[in-house]
Formats: sequence, C-alpha cells, structure tokens
Amino acid sequence: MKSIMVLVCAFALPGIAIAADHGPVFSYATPVNSQRELSFDTSIFGRNGSQGTQLSTGSGFGYGLTPHITINAFLPATFGSGSLPESRIVSGSEWSAGVSWRFLHSVTSVGKRIESTASLGVVVPGPQQDSGVLGNLHRAPGVAGTLATGLASRSQYVWIGGGYTRFAEASNDRRPDTISWSGVYGYRPAKLRRGYDQWDYRGFAELTGEHTGNVRTNGLILPKSSTTTLWLGPSVLAIFKDVAISGGVQAPLFRDASDAIYGREHIRFAVNFSYLKYSAHTSSH
Amino acid sequence: MKKLFVAGILAVYSAAAHAEYEQVDLTVFGMDCAPCAHAIHVSMKGIQGVNTVDVDLNTGLVTIKLNPGNSAAMSQFNQAVEKNGFTHKDVVIIARGKLTGTASAPFFEVSGTQDRFALVPATNSMDIAALLGQTVTITGVLPQAPKGKVSDTLRYNTITEAQ
Repeated sequence: MKSIMVLVCAFALPGIAIAADHGPVFSYATPVNSQRELSFDTSIFGRNGSQGTQLSTGSGFGYGLTPHITINAFLPATFGSGSLPESRIVSGSEWSAGVSWRFLHSVTSVGKRIESTASLGVVVPGPQQDSGVLGNLHRAPGVAGTLATGLASRSQYVWIGGGYTRFAEASNDRRPDTISWSGVYGYRPAKLRRGYDQWDYRGFAELTGEHTGNVRTNGLILPKSSTTTLWLGPSVLAIFKDVAISGGVQAPLFRDASDAIYGREHIRFAVNFSYLKYSAHTSSH
Repeated sequence: MKKLFVAGILAVYSAAAHAEYEQVDLTVFGMDCAPCAHAIHVSMKGIQGVNTVDVDLNTGLVTIKLNPGNSAAMSQFNQAVEKNGFTHKDVVIIARGKLTGTASAPFFEVSGTQDRFALVPATNSMDIAALLGQTVTITGVLPQAPKGKVSDTLRYNTITEAQ
C-alpha cells in the first residue's frame, strides 16, 4: 500500500529531485547526503545539434543537514553555441541552489529501500548569456521543484520523477516554463555485488523527457517556440568508497521542436565526477 | 592500612577499566551500495574506542570490535547508523560490565557509560545469583528499539565471570 502511495504521489505532484552524486546522470533520483556529509560534483554536459555544440561544465555542492535533508548549490558555465531549447535535465547557464527533503524512507530489508525525495530551489541567471533565441531574452530568476520516487537495492534500481521550473518576467521577456520527467532502471550484475572496498559498478537505462513552453519576447509569444522531446540512453556509474564517476549518452526518441528556431538536436552526453566526504562525528554519550 | 587502601583503589579501577563493549554486531537495513557501507565504516570508526569495522553489503552485517578500556555507548552505534539514513535490527553484543539488581530482576551495567539493561534469558534461565555484584562478560541480543532509542532489555545467551 505504501509503495502504491509513493507511485501515486510521484505522478500526481508537479516537478522534483535532481540526480544525485551516486545515481543516474540525467534522471531524477532519490538519494540525499547523510548527516554532515559534504559532496562535491563536477560535470560536463554536452548537447549537439544542427546549429552547433553546447558544452556546460559545473560544480555542485551538497551538505546533509539531517539524514534526510540536504542543501545544495550548482554553479555551471557554458561553452559553445547550440541555439538549443531550454532544458532543466541538462544544465545550462543558470546558477541554482535549493534543498532536498527525503520525505519517505521505507527500509524494507537488507540492501533494499523505497524512498521519495522532493526538492525546491531557486534558479538565477549566471553571468553568461545563452545562445540562439534564448540569448536575446532579458533574464530573470525562477523557481524549480522536483519530485522523485523509487526503489534502491543491491541488484536493481527503479526511479521515476519529474520537475517543473518557472521563470519570472524581465522587461516583457520570459524564458519558457519547463516540465521535465524521467524514468530510470538500473542493474548491478551478481558478479559485481562485492565488498565496499572494491569498485562498485552499475548500469542504467535512462528515459527523459521535457516540454518547454513558449518563449515570450517583448511581451509577445514567439510562435512555434514550444518544444517537446523524449530521450533514451545508457549510463554507467562507478564508485570506490568516496569517489564516484558516471557517464552517459542519450539520443532522441521523439522530437517536436521548430528546426528554424532550434535546429535539430542529435545527442546529449554527460560525465560526472563526485567526491563524497562522510562525517565521522557522533555525539558522545 | 595504606597498602590495603591502594589495593582497593586499584581493584575498583581495574574493574571499571575492563567494563566495556568488546564486540557489537548490527544488521543494517537499506544499504544498497559501496558509499553506504563506506559511510557506515567512517561513522563507526569515528567512535572513540572502535578498533576495527567490517561491513558486509550482501548480508548488511556490520561487525565492530573495540579496544579495551573504551567507553563507547550503544547510543553512539545507533546514531552512526541513523545519521546515514539507515536502520538496524537486533544488535548482538559481547560486553563486560557489572551485574546488579536481584536474582529475580538482574541488571547489567556497562561501566564508563550510562548503558544499563534489564537482563532476560534468551533461552534457558541461568542461576546468576552468585554473580551479582561481580564483573561479568555477557553475550546477548539487544532487540530492535524505536528510532533514536536503545533497548533497555538485554536477552542474554551466556554470562560468565570476567577474567
């Protein structure tokens, strides 16, 4: 019953949780930092389309306030020009900060748990200008909410999630609202269910989708500027104690976007490196 | 008289110094990956007096061996598990401490900590009257307690006079 409730919540609520440092690279997932754990992520995201390639690199920080609440910040920088649609799955030039709350945590047996995490954050324009149609807009901050739910076990992982980002208006311009969603399945083969003092590998199949609303410029809606895309691809995560490296690639399954405005986006890829600093602190008795 | 006093002090000190947890085995639920186990390892090693920590991801078993003379408390082991977002089930312990109370309502006190457990036999009841007031070594199980709590009952398997 609890599991059904979790799934219902995930579909019913708008928006949700950003992929954490030891989860999939593109999709929403539930892990949060342990109490007093400091995590550092640095990643490279790439998007290639008919109008060029855009790379973004960023650094993220997370700190576990409690076993179930983590505060985080992400500071990206972009390179290249792809004239691509807005995306919240693949980071752009916006800086963000927020809090993630693992509000459901059901530990059912050895090596298995069901959990749900909600995140809320602010997104502010970074110092870099976007390219393409988004580059001509006056930019304003926005708010982002995400929700993810799923199961983690020694052998399999399943997470579904979604997110919603809404930007404020600036000088009669407004970036498009973005609805994102993802589903991911992960598997760790029996041979790789080893001790924690060895490298831990798992593979994921990640399905992500995004719908971006219309771009508003000078108070007018830019025709055909709304987009809907669906992406699928594999990713791999490798962890050794406090270090994690993951990478993945995605290709479009479905694409409804104006070629004239955005060109054709062909591929997305990401590589992420994480360092997890666990706390040895326990209060004395 | 002076020698007797010194001998008495040494005897008391000796009893206190050898009252402690020797080994704690917890079955932790919810650990799916290497960072989970590493986090538990780091947290347990951070407890003063812990000598070695072994984590088996496939069984969830966390085995902690402690140095003689430690003053680690059971609440610290609990906290080390819970701060990482996990829970544990029953805890198997080997500990030295003082047997107090009465033969019908015995207690086990782990000196150097505030840990005090009501003793109940896990299987067959033992005659422990002769051990009351003595420093003993106990093996037993602390049943799972609500989050943030430590069981106040210890189901003992063996009680022997400490060497």
